[in-house]
Amino acid sequence: MIISEHWLREWVTTELSTQEIADRLTLAGLEVDGVSPLAGEIEHLLVGHVLEVSKHPDADRLNLTKVDIGSEQLDIVCGASNVAEGLKVAVATVGAELPNGMQIKRAKVRGIESNGMLCSAAELGLEDHSDGILELGGEAEIGQRVDQLLALDDNLIDIDLTPNRGDCLSVQGVARELKILADAELHPVATSPVPASNQEQIDIELQDSSACPRYIGRIIKGIDSNAATPIWLAERLRRCGVRPISPVVDITNYVMLELGQPMHAFDYRKLDSKIVVRPAKAGEKIKLLDESTATLDEQTLVIADASSPIAIAGVMGGLDSAIGDSTHDIVLEAAHFTRKSAAGCARRYGLHTESSHRFERGVDPELPSIAMERATQLVLQICGGDAGPNCEQVNDSALVDRADVEIRLARLEQLLGMPLRRSEVSHILQRIVDQVQDTTTGWRVTPPSYRFDIEYEADLVEEVARVKGYDAIPTAIPRLAPRSITGSEATVSQRSVRQALVARDFREVITYSFIDPANQADMSDEKPVILENPLAENMSVMRTSLLPGVLQAAQFNHNRQQGRLRLFELGASYHRAKKDQISDNPGFVEKQRLAVLVTGSRHQGQWGVDGARAADFYDLKADLEAVLSLTGIKEPFIFNEFEHISMHPGQLSSVTKNGDEIGFIGRLHPRLEQQYGFSSEVFVFELDLSKALAAQLPAFQGVPKFPSIRRDLSVVVSAELAAAELLSTVRDGLGEKLKDVAIFDVYQGKGVEQGHKSVSLSLTLQDKERTLTDEYAEALLASLLNAMHNNHGARLRT
Amino acid sequence: MSTSLEESLNAISQRAMQAIAESDTPAALEMLRVQYLGKKGELTSQLKQIGGLPAEERPKFGDLVNQIKQQVAAAIGGKKTELELAEMAARIAAEKIDVTLSGRGDLTGGMHPVSRTLQRIEDIFVAMGFGVATGPEIEDDFHNFEALNIPPEHPARAMHDTFYVESEGEGVNLLRTHTSPVQARFMLNQQPPINIIAPGRVYRCDSDVTHTPMFHQVEGLMVDEGISFADLKGILTQFLRQFFEADLEIRLRPSYFPFTEPSAEVDISCVFCDSGCRICKHTGWIEILGSGMVHPEVFKHVGIDSERYTGFAFGVGVERLTMLRYGVDDLRLFFDNDLNFLEQFK
Repeated sequence: MIISEHWLREWVTTELSTQEIADRLTLAGLEVDGVSPLAGEIEHLLVGHVLEVSKHPDADRLNLTKVDIGSEQLDIVCGASNVAEGLKVAVATVGAELPNGMQIKRAKVRGIESNGMLCSAAELGLEDHSDGILELGGEAEIGQRVDQLLALDDNLIDIDLTPNRGDCLSVQGVARELKILADAELHPVATSPVPASNQEQIDIELQDSSACPRYIGRIIKGIDSNAATPIWLAERLRRCGVRPISPVVDITNYVMLELGQPMHAFDYRKLDSKIVVRPAKAGEKIKLLDESTATLDEQTLVIADASSPIAIAGVMGGLDSAIGDSTHDIVLEAAHFTRKSAAGCARRYGLHTESSHRFERGVDPELPSIAMERATQLVLQICGGDAGPNCEQVNDSALVDRADVEIRLARLEQLLGMPLRRSEVSHILQRIVDQVQDTTTGWRVTPPSYRFDIEYEADLVEEVARVKGYDAIPTAIPRLAPRSITGSEATVSQRSVRQALVARDFREVITYSFIDPANQADMSDEKPVILENPLAENMSVMRTSLLPGVLQAAQFNHNRQQGRLRLFELGASYHRAKKDQISDNPGFVEKQRLAVLVTGSRHQGQWGVDGARAADFYDLKADLEAVLSLTGIKEPFIFNEFEHISMHPGQLSSVTKNGDEIGFIGRLHPRLEQQYGFSSEVFVFELDLSKALAAQLPAFQGVPKFPSIRRDLSVVVSAELAAAELLSTVRDGLGEKLKDVAIFDVYQGKGVEQGHKSVSLSLTLQDKERTLTDEYAEALLASLLNAMHNNHGARLRT
Repeated sequence: MSTSLEESLNAISQRAMQAIAESDTPAALEMLRVQYLGKKGELTSQLKQIGGLPAEERPKFGDLVNQIKQQVAAAIGGKKTELELAEMAARIAAEKIDVTLSGRGDLTGGMHPVSRTLQRIEDIFVAMGFGVATGPEIEDDFHNFEALNIPPEHPARAMHDTFYVESEGEGVNLLRTHTSPVQARFMLNQQPPINIIAPGRVYRCDSDVTHTPMFHQVEGLMVDEGISFADLKGILTQFLRQFFEADLEIRLRPSYFPFTEPSAEVDISCVFCDSGCRICKHTGWIEILGSGMVHPEVFKHVGIDSERYTGFAFGVGVERLTMLRYGVDDLRLFFDNDLNFLEQFK
């Protein structure tokens, strides 16, 4: 909310400077976003009276004016369409410098001399954009300094209010706050009941008096339709960011800004006999002031006449009952709509108004009658007319008195962590609330009707703390119960995985959890969790795999001349729960995953290495095996052929650990490589970390006392035979004597018959009890060869 | 002993010494060794003449031959060492490489800057004795809002710009708008003392220069007997000083969060300037996180006795801390995953 310092100082007397006021408010929770000065003093800017207006002979849009500024009459060329004889205007005479830096000089405009400029509100720094020159109104004196007339030495204080402080959405509210903080004196505007000068009453019917416990209506007849909003009032509205429209509307807005009570005015002659406050009928329509048409539902409270709705209560008035140029008789409304009834109502219709903003946050239920008197007073003063009596309907039971709140000194001291003097707390409380009673342990206070946020003891604790100043609270270090949850050693931490991959030259990415359904469908036929209100279609489903995001990150970089990519992401995938599946939020399952991608050359470009070779399946498999090796599990992870819609069918494997499938590794389907525009093959793997990271604790086995023997063995087998099968035979055949086995060469070509391959194995043999003799080793190998032959038709390569 | 014999020996010796001195390969040296000291070598064969000498001259002659043999052997040994050293020196000279060429193989990759910051935050809090807790990102209305004292249609909900998910079952499900539901979940399962942080992804349906629809928060919660606002100030001061490695001041300002009362925005004294800069908007203070004392309504929702226990909670934006720490000026860079950006964080 933006508030004029001048206006604020009318309400509260304080010695504080502008900056001190801003600081004091900020440190009390009314955060001042900025203080912007208006133009300040402007020399040579005077009130002028337009005496004559005629067309410029050479320019359709320009007018020639003669303006009386008291001391002389000036010929001024003016481009504004609203210039007219008889207007009082702001004249920047030669020598004036405007807030936008413009210097006024004598000049010829299309051949005609102009001795100054008629200014718009924007040119005086009063608003961002103006459609014409500023009309100063009848009360301005010819020749008077405009900076004084408009009080341009004002500052605009922009306050960012939290939703609990609806009571501060007015000059009165901020003034009250400043009174408390600076212990200053408050001067509320004087409102005395305006006596009725006609007896015409409006019939008011509260059908839903719990949503609207108080409604005051008042008829004012015979207002002057030619009346104009006085400059001081229009100017105050403008400074608070509200555009002046017409006198009655401006007055209702003024009262809202001043006191905090949203008001409305209806054209009395357009109403059908009475005012009814009722829930809307489903499907009922209303054309609103912003010229939109709303179709109402039964949760919406409306103001209606005998036949149809004339306003959405506390949100916006209807167009058909709006006051206009020909309005003579009006009905002013000042009502209390509860927070509960206002909550969410405006949003359901895509609306957010000054009025709804206030009612949602809570408006003082005692305020309508004061506001009504203030508004009536201003209407009579500005527009004339005869006011009728206040017509009020109240539901006292819905306006129950606010409960008293107790605060204990000991609790206050404990919560703030500091000792406090009873007298000081007492004084602070008295500044904030209406009634303070001493109790044995502290105080019982009656919160003011406008402070909806004082409900609990804790609320009063905050009140005392913020008035005293949070700066006064000391700094302490609490005694901490040791509670570190370091995680079990039997699980590899995600941090270790991240470190291992970073050490292997991978770069971590973080991609959005919601992705394009098309990308999702590329990677999986699982039905994803769908967002009801996505920001965009391409962010509308929750990922079931991290790969689409990682692929997109790869594509983004590939399109920016990055041919070699090594990326990974750690994060959750999101799934619909299967029936009876246990999870934190029933209905949904989240799984922590790791996705890794490589494409392009195996190494960074460099001299002397085969860095140019593109990374292949086995390069990535080494990275996968490195991650899995963190678990310390000795049993081999099993790789089996696998099917996946997004992967190359011939270069794809599932990964199985202790019988659980934990993920897959493979090459992206060439169709997708093409679709994403990659220039080299893309290899990926993805793991479900909940199973993949279960680790085995080290268990000491003793250090071998006897030397091992190494033997190399090359066998020729069918080209179709999977290496894992051959290795399985090796492991079974050598049993405990096998310390280690590795394949160090696979060869097809000259010397090996068609359809076969030579596989070279390096075997390390060891016996825990004795030194292996060569003879024994040879015997082991002979029996192994025999087994290989029986199982796979293998023969020794010679 | 006849002079001629002696002269002849000396002549052999001289010749040998000269030949040794002039030899330039280990092979030539070996030939010299055979020539002079071998079984049929010149000096060895001299000894064979010993039988023709008078008995009294024999020892002297023998001594002389042996002396010369030793001299020659020593000379060969010395020369051999010399040649070996020279050969190694030559080999070393030939093995000179360009040490300024780069090493082979790959360097290391890097963590995402958000992970880097998360890890730092965790390390600092864990060292202070906090545990790390997690919770689901697809939340229900109760944990994200109601348990945190944000009933339906509360104005604070409008500030949260919630993403809702389609659900088949009953109840409203959404992407958590903050990490605070982890507070509620943890307290529902655990009685005090509690001191945890909860890092993770959060979501708000808002996207512009200063908002991304997904970002990261770390929630903090400490509940025990006698926990005070002063403790909150102490823990946060400790954390922020360690995080920024600066002796900064913190300032608490009253604010509003439905789940804490009293509530405070926490500012740090600007770490970039002494006298006002663009980042602190010339105020000398930078807004860094929201915090407060756990609201009694929240305790009620999770079944903790608010008379016996008090506690504080705070929530810090990880991207914001990262931006301040490393001077990143555009939030959106974090999720573009442009290597030109990521590679600036090791």
